[in-house]
Amino acid sequence: MMGKLKLGVFELTDCGGCALNVLFLYERLFDLLEYYEIGEFHMASSLQDGGHYDVALVTGTVSTHRDLEVLREARNRSDYLIALGTCATHGSVQGSVEMPIKEKLKAIYGDEGNPMRAMDSKPVVEYVAVDLAIPGCPYDKEELYQALMNIAKGIDPVRPDYPVCVECKLNEYECVLVKKGLPCLGPITLGGCNAVCIKSGLGCIGCRGPLPGEVNPASEYEILKSKGYDDEYIMKKFKTFARWKP
Amino acid sequence: MIIEIGEFTRVEGNGKAEIIIEDGEVKDVRLKIVEGPRFFELLTLGRHYYDVPDLEARICAICYLAHSVASVMGIERAFGVEVPEEIQLLRELGLIGEFLESHALHLYLLVAPDVFGYPDAIRMASKHGELVKEGIALKAFGNRLRELIGGREIGGINVKPGGFGRYQTTEELETIEEESGALLRLAKRAVRLFASLEPYGERAEHFVATNGYLWGERLIAEDKEPFHYTERIEEHSLVYSFAKQSCYNGESFLVGSLARLLLKSDQLTPEAKRLFKEHEDKLSTGYVSYNNLAQAIELVYSLERAGEIAKILLDRGISGENVPVEPREGEGIGYVEAPRGVLIHHYRTDSKGRIVHSNIITPTALNHAMIEESLLKEARVLYGEADEEEMIGRLEETVRAFDPCISCSVHIVKL
Ligand code: SF4
Ligand code: SF4
Repeated sequence: MMGKLKLGVFELTDCGGCALNVLFLYERLFDLLEYYEIGEFHMASSLQDGGHYDVALVTGTVSTHRDLEVLREARNRSDYLIALGTCATHGSVQGSVEMPIKEKLKAIYGDEGNPMRAMDSKPVVEYVAVDLAIPGCPYDKEELYQALMNIAKGIDPVRPDYPVCVECKLNEYECVLVKKGLPCLGPITLGGCNAVCIKSGLGCIGCRGPLPGEVNPASEYEILKSKGYDDEYIMKKFKTFARWKP
Repeated sequence: MIIEIGEFTRVEGNGKAEIIIEDGEVKDVRLKIVEGPRFFELLTLGRHYYDVPDLEARICAICYLAHSVASVMGIERAFGVEVPEEIQLLRELGLIGEFLESHALHLYLLVAPDVFGYPDAIRMASKHGELVKEGIALKAFGNRLRELIGGREIGGINVKPGGFGRYQTTEELETIEEESGALLRLAKRAVRLFASLEPYGERAEHFVATNGYLWGERLIAEDKEPFHYTERIEEHSLVYSFAKQSCYNGESFLVGSLARLLLKSDQLTPEAKRLFKEHEDKLSTGYVSYNNLAQAIELVYSLERAGEIAKILLDRGISGENVPVEPREGEGIGYVEAPRGVLIHHYRTDSKGRIVHSNIITPTALNHAMIEESLLKEARVLYGEADEEEMIGRLEETVRAFDPCISCSVHIVKL
C-alpha cells in the first residue's frame, strides 16, 4: 500500500463541535486511519507536525487575528482544504450578531474596554478558497466520513443539492410546518442531515445554511406569516445561519 | 522574562499561558483565553424564548445539553412554569449522558496519554488499546443518551421549555437500563487508575456547586447555605483574556466534579458513595488534580443513576405530555451542573416572551482564577528544578486537570 495521506485538523473560534465530531466517528475513525495519518489536531493530540498536509479540515469562524493566521497557514500548507461545519461555511450563530465589533466588545466586556483585538466573525470561505464545504451545525458525521474516504480513493466527494424537505419525505415524517404550524426552515435549507430535527417533531432551524440555487425564501416567508409569526421573528430566524450567499 | 506556554493541546478551545519570571523567581501567571468572543448574550437579545435554548446549545459542543437545560430552566422560572417529575427525570438522564461523554473524553482521551507518556490516545492505542476502547465505549453510551434526550449528539433541539419535541420509547429506556449496568465495571476500573496518581497543582479552599446534584434553585458552598450567584460571586474583565474571571467572596474557588463530591456526597448513588468514602482522605485535601479521580467516581454515579432513572420511568410509563408555556414579563435563573461545574443562565423577558437581558456564566470562567493559582503554585515548584520543556508539559497537565472548556468561557456579559 502507498503511504498514508496526512491530515490536519485546525480549529478557529467556535463551539468545538465540529472538531469533536471527528472523534465521535468512534471505530470508524480507526477505519479512516488506515488511509490517513493525523499530523495535527490540537483538541486530541499534543503532536504538532508543522509539515505539509494532503487534507486540512478547518472548523470555526475567523474571529481573531490568530484565527486568520491559523487559517492562512492551513491553506498554504495543504492541498485539499475542507471548510467543516456552518461556522466555517457560513459564519454560524456568532456571525449573526450585527453590530460593529467595538460596540460588541464594549457591551460584553464593559467600558474600561478589553484591549484585546477581535474581528467580526466571518466564515473561512470569505478569506480563502476552499476545495470542499461541508455545512451543518454540526455537520453529519457520515458526510465527512464519506468525503474523506472518497478523497483517499481519488473520487470527487458527493455534494448534496436538495432541501431538508426531501429527506423528510424519504423518512415519511409528518410535515411540522403544514400540519403543526411549527416554524420550520426545511424548504429553504440545504439537506444532508437526514432531517434529524424533524424526527423529533420539531422545525428545522436552518443549521446547514441556505439551499443554493432555485430557492424561494419569499414563499417560505409568506407561509410563516400565514401561520401567525411576525416579521421580526421570521427575520431573526432567517438570519441565524444564513446571511451569506452560498 | 516570560515563559510562554503556547496553545494548550488536548483541551477544548484555544488558550495559552504566560509565566512571568522576575529576579530569578516566578512572579505571576496569566491564563490567556485567546479563543475569539462569541457574543451569545447579544445574539439572544430580542429573540423569542422558543428559539433561545437551541441557540445556547451552540455555546459549547461538549456540554450543549447543560446549556439547553439551563436555558430552558431560566426561561421556565421567568414564566413561572413548573414541569412534572417525568420531564425532570428525562432532563436528568440527558445531563447524565453528558457527564459520561465529557468525563470519558477527558479521562481516557485527553488525560490518560499523560499518564502513559503518549502525545495522544490514538498513538496510545497501540499499547493500551483496551483502555482506549473502554473510554470510547463509555463516551459513545453517553452520547447515545444525549441523542436520545437532546435529539442529536451535538447541538440538538429536542429540549424545549415545558417539555420535549419527541419523548422516548419503552424500548429505548430498556436498552439504557441494560447497558448502564454492563458498563459499570469499566468505570470502576477508571477509578482505580486515577486513584493511583500523585497529586499536583494547588489545593482549593472554596468549593461551589448547585444545591441538587445535577441542578438546583440556588448555589451552595462549604457552609451549605443556599445563595444566588449575585450575592457572593463577582465577575471582572481582564486585560489579557476574552474570558472573565470570577471570585467567591473575593477569593478563588473551584467548581466541577471535585467540588460536587465534596459538597454533595450524601446525594450520591450507593457504589459511587462507597468509592467516595474509600478515597475521601485524598479528595478532601482539595488538590485540584484530584478532579480527575472525582470525574472517575462520577462515571460510576452516572451509570448507576442512569439505570435507576430508566427503571423508574419504565415502572411508571411515560405520559409524554408537555406543560403549556405562557410567556410573561419575568426573570429567571437556571442553575445546572455542566460536567465541568456550575453553569448559570440568567434571563429577563418581556410580556411577549422575548429576551431583554441575558447573562451566562460558565464553569471555566468560574475556575479561571483557580487555574491561574494552580499554575503559579506548580510553576514555583518546577522553576529551576525541571528544564523548560518538562516544566511546560507539567503545567499543561495542571491546566488539563480542570478540564477547561474554552469555547464556553468566552461570552460573558457584564451585569
Ligand atoms: S458549526 Fe456549529 S457545531 Fe460546528 S463548530 Fe460551529 S457552532 Fe459548533
Ligand atoms: S433539520 Fe435543519 S436544523 Fe436540524 S440538522 Fe437538519 S438542517 Fe440542521
